[in-house]
Amino acid sequence: MSGARQPITPIVLRSISQRFGRKVVLRGVDLELRARSITGLVGANGAGKTTLFLILAGLLQPDGGERRYGERVVADIDLELRARLAYVAHAPQLYPGLGARANLELFAELRRAAGLSSRPADDVLRGLGLPAEALDRPVSTFSRGMAQRVALARAVAGDPELLLLDEPFTALDARGRAQLAGALLAERDRGAAILLSSHDQGTLLRVCDRLVLLEAGAIVREVERGGDDPAGFAARASEVLGAVGLDDHAAA
Amino acid sequence: MLHLAPVRLLRQSLLLLRSELRQELRDLELVVTSTFFTLVVLGMFYLSFAALEKKHTLPAVPGLLWLTVAFVGSITLTRAFDREREADTLRALLAAPVERLAIYVAKAGSTLLVLLVCCALLVPGLAAMFPAGQAFWDMPLETAALVVLGCLGYVAIGTLFAAGLAGGGGKNMLLAVILYPVTTPVLMFALVTTRALLDKNPNLPSLLGQMAALDVILLGVGALLFEPVLVGAAPARTAQAARQHRRDLARAAGREEPR
Repeated sequence: MSGARQPITPIVLRSISQRFGRKVVLRGVDLELRARSITGLVGANGAGKTTLFLILAGLLQPDGGERRYGERVVADIDLELRARLAYVAHAPQLYPGLGARANLELFAELRRAAGLSSRPADDVLRGLGLPAEALDRPVSTFSRGMAQRVALARAVAGDPELLLLDEPFTALDARGRAQLAGALLAERDRGAAILLSSHDQGTLLRVCDRLVLLEAGAIVREVERGGDDPAGFAARASEVLGAVGLDDHAAA
Repeated sequence: MLHLAPVRLLRQSLLLLRSELRQELRDLELVVTSTFFTLVVLGMFYLSFAALEKKHTLPAVPGLLWLTVAFVGSITLTRAFDREREADTLRALLAAPVERLAIYVAKAGSTLLVLLVCCALLVPGLAAMFPAGQAFWDMPLETAALVVLGCLGYVAIGTLFAAGLAGGGGKNMLLAVILYPVTTPVLMFALVTTRALLDKNPNLPSLLGQMAALDVILLGVGALLFEPVLVGAAPARTAQAARQHRRDLARAAGREEPR
């Protein structure tokens, strides 16, 4: 239980590499994720973003490199760490036969069974804009955007210190994106470190404190939001986003 | 404050098993498919072998029992993990603060229950159809022990491979190809023990004891390998990372850790 009360931030990856067979997916990735900060991970399809998320979430063991969570260098992302991070994948990963509330309550009960707390499901779901009449409907009847909100609600219910979001804006309309962006900013202000990948340029520019460009498995550029030069950040970030040809939802 | 690992494991296993059973009770997919298959197979066995004399059916009944269990188990394990595969919920569980062993226990438990439901039809059916199966009625406790131990061994190893394929995006067809060879030892053992039961062989308690020992080994293998199969083993530098961790903690505490 060493380090149970130590923060798990900053999360530092050093020289992370991963290959699947002959294909090298990550080549010596160095990345730091800080508390109270949203880092946008951008890159073309196949650049290695999802693999990096899986490694951070403990769903994949890297072939090489070092993962440091706060003071701990870890070989395995154990239950103690998993209790303090949350991962939202590209697919919502919800039980389709269960309602939104039941999906959240299952995971809340699992947390409580481990001695961990969880916010009330209804509060979190309503906070993310899910209508009350949808709470008990099977998730299989939901639109992709609604399912995505349920997945995010499940992730934030445990007040994670590290929030990993792999394309959470997929299939959300402008209102949904705005609500989700608001929720992310609230999580950041609560103190979470957030890693976010998205193809939605407008939202990335709005919420991210830093943008990281992943190209062919390597981080090739980083842009940070400076306190006194917001226009400069927007210009440099637009360059990075333009390099991967992201969708422009800037009006959102 | 995290609960102790055994407490977490027990509670989370029960929660996940309850969730599995609730989902199954809602659509009855596995139970209906498996029981229907069992009844069809029983009917086919009856039509094919009912006219045979007892001495000829005696060696056949154990084969009929465990062949059916093997097929029903294959159907059940395939569908059990299809639910996870379709919605990718297995990954959500793996990323959550859930004992990974609890996932194994719940999946194995729900599959075992489905198999036992089928055996509750199969064993009395075989006993009623074939005079050679009379021993099932005569020794109900031994029969129950035999069925539970045989199914448990099958499920212990089958769940491991089914989970590995589901987690790795493997094809269902591959499961059947892998499942039959890896479950053959436990099925053969169960077959021999069933023959001993039907013969009222005095070595039956010893054989049941050996089956129980085999189950313990298979459960141990399943429990040990479940997490590495799904997530991958920790790299060989674990010990190095642990040393670094200790050095880091010592540095943070203001003292130097010897190298």
